[in-house]
Amino acid sequence: MNVEAVIGLEIHVEMQTKSKMFSTAPVTYKADPNTAVVPLDLGHPGTMPVVNRQAIINAIQVCHALHLQIDSQLWFDRKNYFYPDLPKGYQITQNARPIGSDGWIEVMVENQPFKIRIERLHVEEDTAMQHHYEGFTLVDYNRAGIPLMEIVTKPDIRNGAQAAAFVEAIRQIVSFLKVSSGKMEEGSLRCDVNISVRPVGTETLGTKVEIKNLNSIANVQRAIDVEMLRQERSLIAGIPVQQETRRYDELKKETILMRKKTDAVDYKYFTEPNIVPISLSQDFISNAIHQSLALATTKRTRYQGELGLSEYDAIQLTQDVYVSEYFDQLTTLGNHYKLYANWLLGEIASYLNKANLGMLAFPIQPRYMALLMTMVAKGDLSNKQAKELFEIMVKNPGDPRLLAEKMNMLQISDEGYITQQVQEVLAANPQSIIDFQQGKDRAVGFLIGQIMKKTGGKVNPTLTNQILIKLLKSK
Amino acid sequence: MHWLDHTILDIHQALVKKTVTPLQLVEEALRRAKADTWNTFEITTEAHAIQQAKALTTPEVNNPFWGIPFVIKDNFSTQGIQTTAGSNILNGYIPLFDATVYQKLIQAKAILIGKTTLDELAMGGTGMTGHKGYQYNPFDASKTRQIGGSSSGSAAAVSSGMVPFSLGSDTGDSVRKPASYAGLVGFKPTWGRISRYGLFPFAPSLDHVAYFTRSVEDASILTNLLSGPDTNDATSSTQPLPVYHFSQTIPGKKIAVIHEVMDSIQNPIILQRFKQTLEALTKAGAQIDYVHFPLALLQAIYPTYMTLSCAEATSNNANLDGLKFGPGYQGKTYQDVMMQSRTAGFSELIKRRFVIGSFVLMKENQQDLFLRAQRVRRMIVENLQKIYQTYDVIYLPAAPTIAPKFTDSSDRLSSQYLIADSHLALGNFAGLPSVTLPIGFEQNMPFGANIMGRAFEEATTLEVAYVVEQFTGLKNLSILTRKPS
Repeated sequence: MNVEAVIGLEIHVEMQTKSKMFSTAPVTYKADPNTAVVPLDLGHPGTMPVVNRQAIINAIQVCHALHLQIDSQLWFDRKNYFYPDLPKGYQITQNARPIGSDGWIEVMVENQPFKIRIERLHVEEDTAMQHHYEGFTLVDYNRAGIPLMEIVTKPDIRNGAQAAAFVEAIRQIVSFLKVSSGKMEEGSLRCDVNISVRPVGTETLGTKVEIKNLNSIANVQRAIDVEMLRQERSLIAGIPVQQETRRYDELKKETILMRKKTDAVDYKYFTEPNIVPISLSQDFISNAIHQSLALATTKRTRYQGELGLSEYDAIQLTQDVYVSEYFDQLTTLGNHYKLYANWLLGEIASYLNKANLGMLAFPIQPRYMALLMTMVAKGDLSNKQAKELFEIMVKNPGDPRLLAEKMNMLQISDEGYITQQVQEVLAANPQSIIDFQQGKDRAVGFLIGQIMKKTGGKVNPTLTNQILIKLLKSK
Repeated sequence: MHWLDHTILDIHQALVKKTVTPLQLVEEALRRAKADTWNTFEITTEAHAIQQAKALTTPEVNNPFWGIPFVIKDNFSTQGIQTTAGSNILNGYIPLFDATVYQKLIQAKAILIGKTTLDELAMGGTGMTGHKGYQYNPFDASKTRQIGGSSSGSAAAVSSGMVPFSLGSDTGDSVRKPASYAGLVGFKPTWGRISRYGLFPFAPSLDHVAYFTRSVEDASILTNLLSGPDTNDATSSTQPLPVYHFSQTIPGKKIAVIHEVMDSIQNPIILQRFKQTLEALTKAGAQIDYVHFPLALLQAIYPTYMTLSCAEATSNNANLDGLKFGPGYQGKTYQDVMMQSRTAGFSELIKRRFVIGSFVLMKENQQDLFLRAQRVRRMIVENLQKIYQTYDVIYLPAAPTIAPKFTDSSDRLSSQYLIADSHLALGNFAGLPSVTLPIGFEQNMPFGANIMGRAFEEATTLEVAYVVEQFTGLKNLSILTRKPS
């Protein structure tokens, strides 16, 4: 029996707005527990939700990137259930009318374009964070009310690689639009998987299993692939797949049962009465879209086309929004694009990696980095010198020209000056000229050594070599 | 007569002339509050009130609320002052913030005397269901009659003369019905006119901040003090404040009286007195017509109201789970804590309403019950709009009877109950400005009439009420100006 998996994803994206979805409390990930809260976040009686305008702008931008139809009226509903992480006893969400519906995105899977339809995108508020201990649980309401976007795909996905490509695409979109940090490992991007298998050629769907609590894109792929296998084996063995929620165990590399799904909870949705439907004017929507930052895909096209970078460089530069922004800044300061790319993906990346820093924490200002690059391009610095200078600059950020001067490391490429020095050295070493004429090549090495010694190693070695050979041959 | 026995505007004149001081007013109000035998208070705020009154020494000529004592219903959030909404589940709850309306009053230097009883969580119309027991009607010395609810204590405080005004809330008729039973002006402006931030929600789509005063003019100045947009309430409106032109005459004003409501009232004294006020309005230049309203829709007011308000209430009060605040009922699991809290914390009546609310929202019932009720509400509102295409206001007796006795039971399927006792909720369905004011007495108990105007036409609504008030002469009515028998 040939079986195929039918997979749909639900992605929650935590937005990085200044304040929460419906309250004035700050959105922060670093505050002490229960300090980033106002009475509304604790469900105090008499508090009322006020919609965060920026969160709606964010949602519109993501809707646009995902080719979703944007509703011209904003409606919110209450989803009612009792749980310790839900302070009001209901979550304000969009049930009947999501802000975005019926979209799609194309991703590359094994170098082939693959289109995934998107059912909806809606805006809602996050729940509080529970910390379970032996015998008790603590609740941190800092997270309660942080704006969320939920993106739901159609069941178009067939394997883990496609799913991973989709989540990666969403990650890039939300992080390049600066709507979210988009980090699965930090929970600002969460992915739930709905997966069932069925014999190829059949139309009816198999029993659906939900996989939750995935903490990386790689694990989305792994979890789906092992779960597909588990369900396939079950199907072949004639054991019906149970409707249940599972999680992925990284060590065992298998999915583990969390709970059986009984009858679906009735959330008793109804329209939020404290938010009258808000009309989104065409102007508001187009302004929001107009303000969107460039997507990774847009940047890649520019890097490869306008700037002439390789596909590899373009892709690498657009993995992280801040790397690409740094690169963009460099391109406004000079035109050594390939050099910028090499350094960003080489020296800078390895420095950040070693220091365990993000691009935002990179200490060298783009204008100084650009100067350094110009010096390299002009041959004022050898590669080795540039790397030395770079090491100094990350510790003492400043103008590389001044630093190089201070360190006496500026490479001299002035032909007249070099010629002068070479002639002086030749005059002082007549034997070496004879050696050269007799075919003893090591004389060149000796003479270069003498020139370097004389100039404190500051002359451009390639240029010096050329001039020396020319002068020797003319003797 | 003490200066406290007057209307806000009259007391203000005396304060400006320094005939009386805020401290004298507050001390008298507190003395009366302490002598209260009607079960009016959840809590009094004596120390704070005295301190505040002492600090007020220079009268503010243009601020009629300067130094005026008042009380508010115990379902408004008051920072640092216990607020229970008449429910055991909130015993000991000290709010962290001030309701916008309370803040506005404090900023105007009005002085809070105390917080008043209500039907538990403002759900009820009898004043019998709060956790402090029955609220008595000051006009009934034998203490056998209700004052109505749910803003029971706020009505009692004004009609007994403790304060010249009080805040309440009105979801079905919770200010305007007690106003009728207690001989007061009870006004709720248009939905959105006044911020609800800090009002404990019962059913937000129907909830209004409302108030009791002893004159129509007092209601108008209170409206303008409390109104205006609020960044904490997204439903608050930016409409310009009403401008009033109170006059003995209202030439050309068109007044509709709904036939079917009149037909559902049997009390001859109320009917007769109401007709006298109609004659007075005609004399003042108004045109009065009897209009029809679909009977089936009028009969649907009560079930529609129950369906919608219980549904919203069950959700609004889901925050009261015992985990974050409240008396701290114990349990081994969170389910235990929630169960214990809500079992011990709510009365049977509240649980009944929550069950109804939950039931009508269930997936299998929602279409048939909740969504149908929403459709009926819309039809009712459309029919009201039709009337307002021609008429400025709708004018009706506020209630078919004087204040009922605690022992009375009503036939809930009678048209008197379904229509005459429920029609004030029309103003909540459509969110319209609606004022009740006293027009007469039966068995020495007051009864009132109600005027309901177009959205944001508070001015017209109160201008018509002013003419009725002039005719009846029942301005500044309280048990001090008309002794109970």
